[in-house]
Amino acid sequence: MIKRYLSFMAPIITFLLLLFAWELIVNFQNIPKYILPAPTDIFTSFLLNYSDLLRSTFITFRITFFAFMIASLLAIFIAILFSQSKIIELSLYPIAVIFQVTPVVAIAPLILIWVGLDNAEFAILILAVIVAFFPVLANTNLGIRSVEKNLSELFSLYEANRFQRLFKLQLPYALPFILTGMKTSIGLALIGSVVAEFVAGSGTSTGLAWRIIEAGNRLDVPKLFAALILLVVLGVILFLIMSLLEKILLKRWDIDKS
Amino acid sequence: MFKFNKIYKEYDAPILGPISLDIKKNSFVSILGSSGAGKSTLLRLASDLIKPTSGSIEYANNEKPNIGFVFQDPTLLPWRTVIDNVLLPAELTSKNKKLSKEKAYFWLSKVGLEGKENSLPNQLSGGQKMRVSIARAMFQDCSLLLMDEPFAALDEVSRNKLEDDLLDIWKKNELTVLFVTHSVTEAVYLAQRVLVMSSNPGKILDDVIITEKRLRDDGQQSSEFFSKINYLTNILKKEKSE
Ligand SMILES: Nc1ncnc2c1ncn2[C@@H]1O[C@H](COP(=O)(O)OP(=O)(O)OP(=O)(O)O)[C@@H](O)[C@H]1O
Ligand SMILES: [Mg+2]
Repeated sequence: MIKRYLSFMAPIITFLLLLFAWELIVNFQNIPKYILPAPTDIFTSFLLNYSDLLRSTFITFRITFFAFMIASLLAIFIAILFSQSKIIELSLYPIAVIFQVTPVVAIAPLILIWVGLDNAEFAILILAVIVAFFPVLANTNLGIRSVEKNLSELFSLYEANRFQRLFKLQLPYALPFILTGMKTSIGLALIGSVVAEFVAGSGTSTGLAWRIIEAGNRLDVPKLFAALILLVVLGVILFLIMSLLEKILLKRWDIDKS
Repeated sequence: MFKFNKIYKEYDAPILGPISLDIKKNSFVSILGSSGAGKSTLLRLASDLIKPTSGSIEYANNEKPNIGFVFQDPTLLPWRTVIDNVLLPAELTSKNKKLSKEKAYFWLSKVGLEGKENSLPNQLSGGQKMRVSIARAMFQDCSLLLMDEPFAALDEVSRNKLEDDLLDIWKKNELTVLFVTHSVTEAVYLAQRVLVMSSNPGKILDDVIITEKRLRDDGQQSSEFFSKINYLTNILKKEKSE
């Protein structure tokens, strides 16, 4: 009981102490706000700009969420195609790898031109999907391939057809793998949407990345920090939600992933 | 029921063969042999899960029978409850579609898992998992039942009870049983015919007919029973020392 309480409280207390030290150092050393603002400055800036900042947070969240959902569904669908036909797998997998290894900043300008600069949000969505896609594909593919040979034999014995095999054996077996992929992918979707927005720059989108650029240009460092912190909080919350979902869904699963 | 015609099986090296066999309909055949002799491989061949490298298998009337298989491992789906695991054959195979849920419950209680129906496999012991697998095979209306050391993980009392249940089922139904075991006593007690396999590569070393049946309760076991057990034990010993 005490141990649990400690493991919960220790990081919070450490965090508060750090904030406190930060505040003290900035004030006693007279560090200017445009170099390093004190926590109170950041908080004040947040209160002054909260409607802007929260709207941007929501926009970034929306793009991240949709990119994540689209990437996951698409990746699972393609992994299913792979499992059904070796030829499809052999022909499509290299393309997926090419997308994976190409830095998103490098293809961003191209995508922006294709969808039009006034469609920046759509371009960002596409780029975030590209970034988030691969981990789910690779893990789902791995999960389906990892189905134990004797379970597969059992299904052969019962003369299961493709669909039964897919929905009653391969996908359930792959579920823990899929969720691992999705946990990585949701963080990547956030990174993708932020990076893409940086590249899209002066477009029509006004997510958190844009707030950061804008605040940076104006040397409004407290606001920059406020946006940055919101970004981190958003990332952590998304990850926690995925972890929770994984925990709930995998209660029944007891598969050795090694 | 089926015939093996000069079957050979190779993976990287020859594993099995040549094996020629004729398994009569409604017979009960036990298979003995040292570890690695190819007993599991023989059952897989008989169930058409793997193909022989050469030779052929002929099923009676050229029609693959409805096969029940108790694998050497429990082979359960970890995300399904015990009862849903037993019901799996009814979901998958059209031949088994009409099987009722009551029958699944019946078999679970028969193997002593009453009250465990809604547990998950990872909440069961090794022997309990094996019994789920046995219940699943019995739940099917199969005409060929292949069992790979099904009772090896059980205590003696449950084992004797299940052996007698199995004999009972076999007598009352149109059922052919191939039963792999490491226990000579079990093989002789259950079967009408005992096959002994040698290893490297697996062949049928001996084919022994058991005529007289022992009753478990009657203390007066026949001398045939003991002489067959001694005979088979000696063959296995000799094979091992060669
Ligand atoms: N898929 C496979 N690939 C390669 N070799 C295999 C394969 N399956 C079985 N073997 C080999 O075939 C031989 C016989 O295996 P099998 O499982 O049939 O033996 P067994 O008689 O059932 O042994 P046990 O009593 O230990 O269960 C072994 O030497 C094994 O290594
Ligand atoms: Mg075996």
